[in-house]
Amino acid sequence: MKIESTNKVKKGLAEMLKGGVIMDVVNAEQAKIAEKAGAVAVMALERIPADIRADGGVARMSSVGVIQEVMDSVSIPVMAKARIGHFVEAQILDSLGIDFIDESEVLTPADEVNHINKQNFKAPFVCGATGLGEATRRIAEGASMIRTKGEAGTGNVVEAVRHMRTITNELNEVIACDENEIVALSKKFRAPLHILQEIKEHNKLPVVNFAAGGIATPADAALMMQLGCDGVFVGSGIFKSGDPAERAEAIVIATTNYNDPKVLSEVSKNLGEPMVGINIDTLSEEEKLAKRGW
Amino acid sequence: MKVGILSFQGSFLDHSKSIHQLGHESLLIKQSKDLTSVDALILPGGESTAMKKINQFSDLLTDIDQLIKDGIPTLTTCAGTILLAKEVIGGDVTIPNIDIEVTRNAYGRQTESFEGSVKFFENEDIYCFIRAPKISKLLSDSVNVIAQHNDEIVGVAQKNIVSLTFHPELNNDEYYLNWLNEFIKEGKNVRSF
Repeated sequence: MKIESTNKVKKGLAEMLKGGVIMDVVNAEQAKIAEKAGAVAVMALERIPADIRADGGVARMSSVGVIQEVMDSVSIPVMAKARIGHFVEAQILDSLGIDFIDESEVLTPADEVNHINKQNFKAPFVCGATGLGEATRRIAEGASMIRTKGEAGTGNVVEAVRHMRTITNELNEVIACDENEIVALSKKFRAPLHILQEIKEHNKLPVVNFAAGGIATPADAALMMQLGCDGVFVGSGIFKSGDPAERAEAIVIATTNYNDPKVLSEVSKNLGEPMVGINIDTLSEEEKLAKRGW
Repeated sequence: MKVGILSFQGSFLDHSKSIHQLGHESLLIKQSKDLTSVDALILPGGESTAMKKINQFSDLLTDIDQLIKDGIPTLTTCAGTILLAKEVIGGDVTIPNIDIEVTRNAYGRQTESFEGSVKFFENEDIYCFIRAPKISKLLSDSVNVIAQHNDEIVGVAQKNIVSLTFHPELNNDEYYLNWLNEFIKEGKNVRSF
């Protein structure tokens, strides 16, 4: 007996990525640097979020050529982004044999109401969430992994911290609630009841939850891990910095040893220039990517 | 009993849960200094390339290698099996301790990952194979086949080591937990540092 692409197998890959760092790359050369530095997976993109932000315009799924080039160059899992609600971009990625699809707010949304029905695909999905309601809605749609939304491409971790703290606080509220309160909590968070019941039964989110958005230093990665994330995505933070290979390695070591300040100080030495950050208060509401998704 | 779990990255918390379910203590090991007295070891699944890189920071695997050679019961799954294999196709040899050749990502990408029936010792059950390696060759007669999926070898034992390519820790079924309990107990007669 052999069945492919079951929910258990999809969630299983996310389990194997835990405690690791997933890095944004735009070509085979960067993908190899990331793999060598200890990335557990890479996200194949045409442009990293900082450049998408700078360039403006409509951001779409990356060209198939770039994605294929990255898939052919490394032995670790490769992820790629589809626009929110753009199930045809997801179908194309699925047919390429991509290892994980990120239905991402970093790209321009294709549907202002609906997310992709993620049950229909062979590849597992990761989706962003700013709170428990959003996380559980994505899980109900079939997401096998959740990440904070942060503010991608800013090098500013403040939003990722806010999302993680919100998810944790709301999760604790569900875990601690009297069973008579769970329907009201489902209404309060706009969270599917059956997912909240699953959370209450197991005292945890049913899928892995990574940090993403604005992580630029080993200390940022360790901060997110200490806040309870299962691993981290680093986007613009690596290849927009002075010495990408060195910084990538330092973030990998920091993510494993997140509770050991001695190790963190050692890997933070002589790292060169981090990416230049953006203060999120200076962004207009339309420029904030975390607002995308429903 | 105290079980040390290599915790660079991967499914180490799932293994830790199995150990707690059996009423034993688990120790999440990230650096050599975490490696105090343990009765058994688990090397979990994850990405073997990432684990090898993380190891460069403290060279923990050299100490783990010594413990394995001392005869401590050692269970490996998926990437952990790659770390102990004597020969690796599509990857690096790390701390060769078991006489097998493994082929990384042998079934293909994630879309080829599957749940499949496995005969594990005397029991048949369904387990996850996630971007799994294959045990492509047995390199000595002292390697015993202990798990099979159809005709494929998916688990072997040699001396104190049991190496699997699938993920029993994602099931935690009764048969596996009972077996694990007995396996760990053998460690009490072995000296550890």
